[in-house]
Amino acid sequence: MSLGRTTRGIAAAVAALALGLASSAPARAADIKIGAMVPTSGSEAPYGIDMLNAIRMAADQINAKGGVLGDKISIIPGDDACDPQAAVNAASKLVSQGVTGVVGGYCSGATLPTLKIYGDAHVPFVITASNSTALIGANPGNAFMINSTGYDQVKTAVDLFKAKGVKTIAIINEGDAYSADLAKLTRAAWEKMGDKVVDYEVVSKGEQDFSAVVTKIRAAKPDAVFWTAYYADGALLLKQLRQGGYTGMIALGDGSNSPKLFQLAGPAANGVYCFSNPTANFLPSAKLFTEQYVKQFHQQPGPYSTLSYDGMMLMAHAIQVAGGPDKAKIVAALKATKDFKGVAGPISFTPQNTLARSNFVVLLGEGGKWTLYTGPGAPKAP
Amino acid sequence: MPLQEILLQQLANGLILGSFYALVALGYSMVYGVIKLLNFAHGDLYMVGAFAGFGCLSLFSGWLGAGWAGIVPSILLSMVAVGMLGVVIDRVAYRPLREAPKLSVLITALAVSMLLENTVLAFTGGQFTAFSTDLGFTGIDLGLVHVTYTQMVLVGTSIVLMVVLELFVSRTRYGRAMRAIAIDQDACRLMGIDVNRTIALTFFIGSALAAASGVLAGVYYGSINFFMGFLIGLKAFTAAVIGGIGNIPGAMLGGLLLGLLEAFGTQIPGIGGQWKDVFVFAFLILFLVFRPTGILGKPEVERM
Repeated sequence: MSLGRTTRGIAAAVAALALGLASSAPARAADIKIGAMVPTSGSEAPYGIDMLNAIRMAADQINAKGGVLGDKISIIPGDDACDPQAAVNAASKLVSQGVTGVVGGYCSGATLPTLKIYGDAHVPFVITASNSTALIGANPGNAFMINSTGYDQVKTAVDLFKAKGVKTIAIINEGDAYSADLAKLTRAAWEKMGDKVVDYEVVSKGEQDFSAVVTKIRAAKPDAVFWTAYYADGALLLKQLRQGGYTGMIALGDGSNSPKLFQLAGPAANGVYCFSNPTANFLPSAKLFTEQYVKQFHQQPGPYSTLSYDGMMLMAHAIQVAGGPDKAKIVAALKATKDFKGVAGPISFTPQNTLARSNFVVLLGEGGKWTLYTGPGAPKAP
Repeated sequence: MPLQEILLQQLANGLILGSFYALVALGYSMVYGVIKLLNFAHGDLYMVGAFAGFGCLSLFSGWLGAGWAGIVPSILLSMVAVGMLGVVIDRVAYRPLREAPKLSVLITALAVSMLLENTVLAFTGGQFTAFSTDLGFTGIDLGLVHVTYTQMVLVGTSIVLMVVLELFVSRTRYGRAMRAIAIDQDACRLMGIDVNRTIALTFFIGSALAAASGVLAGVYYGSINFFMGFLIGLKAFTAAVIGGIGNIPGAMLGGLLLGLLEAFGTQIPGIGGQWKDVFVFAFLILFLVFRPTGILGKPEVERM
C-alpha cells in the first residue's frame, strides 16, 4: 500500500503542526484559572458586579507583576444569580472547567449548596461576602470565610442596642439563609439576656407593601426594629415605618449597607443604624484601592469590593506558598494564613476557617449618606 | 394602640393593598376569559408600565411638576405605550399559536415574561430605581385611621377602572364580541367578527390596566425594579382565581379579599409574621377544593 502524494503531504503538514504545537506549548505560560462565583444577574446583581470588578482588578494587578510563580491568572466568572439552583449550576460548571480555586460568594443561601460541590472536587474556596453561620457547619474544610460571620454581627447589634438603652425589639427577616440566620441568632442572644422580642416577622422577598407589618409593630411598640435582610426591600420598610408613625430606633443588617438606600428611602434613612463590614470609604488603608478601582471601572467600589479584592489576593498568595496549583497544598496554605495584610484588615483563620477577628463597624445614616458611628456601643477599632 | 384602632388600620391596609391586586387581576382575568390563556407576562407588563411611567414623569416633571399634574399624563401615556406592547406581544408570540395546544401558549407566555424581565434588567443594570414624586402624606382622619389622599386616589382609580371595564364588556359591541369569542371563535368568524382584532383589543386593555397599576405602585411605594412584577403577578393570579377567573367583578372582589387576608393574617397571633403566606395560600387551596370556580365564576360546561 502506498500513500498518494497529496495524502503524504497532508500527513507531513499535520505532523509538522503537531510538532509545532508541542514545542510552543511550554513556551507560553499556562494560565491558572480562578472562578469568580458572584451574582451578576438577578436582584443582587449590583453587588455581584462590584465584587467581580474587584476580583478582576486584583488579578490584573497580579498579572501585571508577572503573575503567580510565572503563571498568569485568568478569571472565569460564574453567575450564581443569588439563587441556590443557579449557584449549583455555576459551581458545577466552574469545577468542570478545571478551576484551581474559587473566590466570591455573596448570598449565603446561594453559597450554601455549592460548598459540597467544591468540597467533592477539593477546590479551595475563599468566601468574600456570604457570612451566614449555616455555612460554618456545612464547610467540608476547603472553604474559608474572610467576612465576619453572623455571630460577630449579632454581638455588634446587641452591644449597640444595650448601649442605647433598648429593652424590647422587633426583628424582621425575609426567610432566606442569610437574613433568617441573623434574625434567629439575634433573637436567641436577646432573649438569653432576659430581654423581650415583641415581634418576629418573616416577609416575602420582593414584597412592596409592609403596611400590615407596620401596623403590627406600632401596636407592639418595640424600642428598636432590626431588619436583617437586604437594602432594596429594607428601604421600603423603613420608609413605611416612619410614614406609619413609628419613631423608635431602626437598625439594619449588613445586607442593607448601600448608598442606594438613601435614594430609595429618602429622608427616612437618616438616623438609621446599619452594621457593616469595613467598606472602602471608611478604611484609611483602602485609599489607593479606591483610586485604582475608580480609575479602572469609573464608579465607586461597592460594599464588598475590598473583601473580594482581598480574597483574590489571598488566593494568589496561597498558590504562591503552595508552590503551584496543587489544590490540597493551597487549602493547607490558606489554613495556615497568619495576619495576611488585606485592604480591609489582617486575615487569620479560626479552626472553623472563619475570620479570626470581627471586622464589623456601625454606620449611621446622616444627611443622606452613611457615616461611621463612634458613639456609645460602637465596636472598638482593631 | 387599642385593638379597635389596630383592626381598622389593618382594614385600610388590606383595602389599599387589595386595590393593587385587583387592578392587576382585572387584566389577568379578562385575557383568560377571552382566550383561556394564563398570561404569565401580565405581571411583567405591570413592571414595564412602572418604568414607562417613570420615564414619562422624568420628562414631564420639568414643566408639570412631580405632583398629580405630572403623574396623571404619565399614567395615561404609560397605559397607551404598554397597551401597544401588549398588542405586539399578542401579534408576535400568541397569535401564531392560536390553534396550538394550550400548553405551548402557556410556555410562550413564560418566555415572554422572562424576555421582558431580562430586557429591563439589561437596561437598568438590575438597579432599584427611586420613583420620587411630590406627593406628601397629607390626608384626612376617618375615625381612628389616617388615610392619605394618595391612598384614596389609588382605591378610587381601581374602582372607577373596574366599573368602566365592566360597562365596556357588558354594554358595547366590542365587549359583546369579546364575550362571543370566549364562547366560540369559529362561530364568531362565521358571523363576521374580526377575531384577531378583538383579541388584540383585549390585550390592549389588559396591558393598559397593568401599566396603570404599575405606575400607581411606583408612585405609592417610591421604588421600582425589574423584578417587581413577579410577586404581584402571582398574587394577582391568586386573586383572579379566588374571585372566579374570567369574571371582572370577581377579580376585583378576589383582589380585595386577598389584600384583607394578608393584612389580617399578619395580625393574628401565632399566624402573623412567619405563617402569613401559608395562611393566605391555604385559602387558595380551600377555594380550589370547595369552590373551584371562585366566588363569582360560573361552572363551565364542557361541550362535546
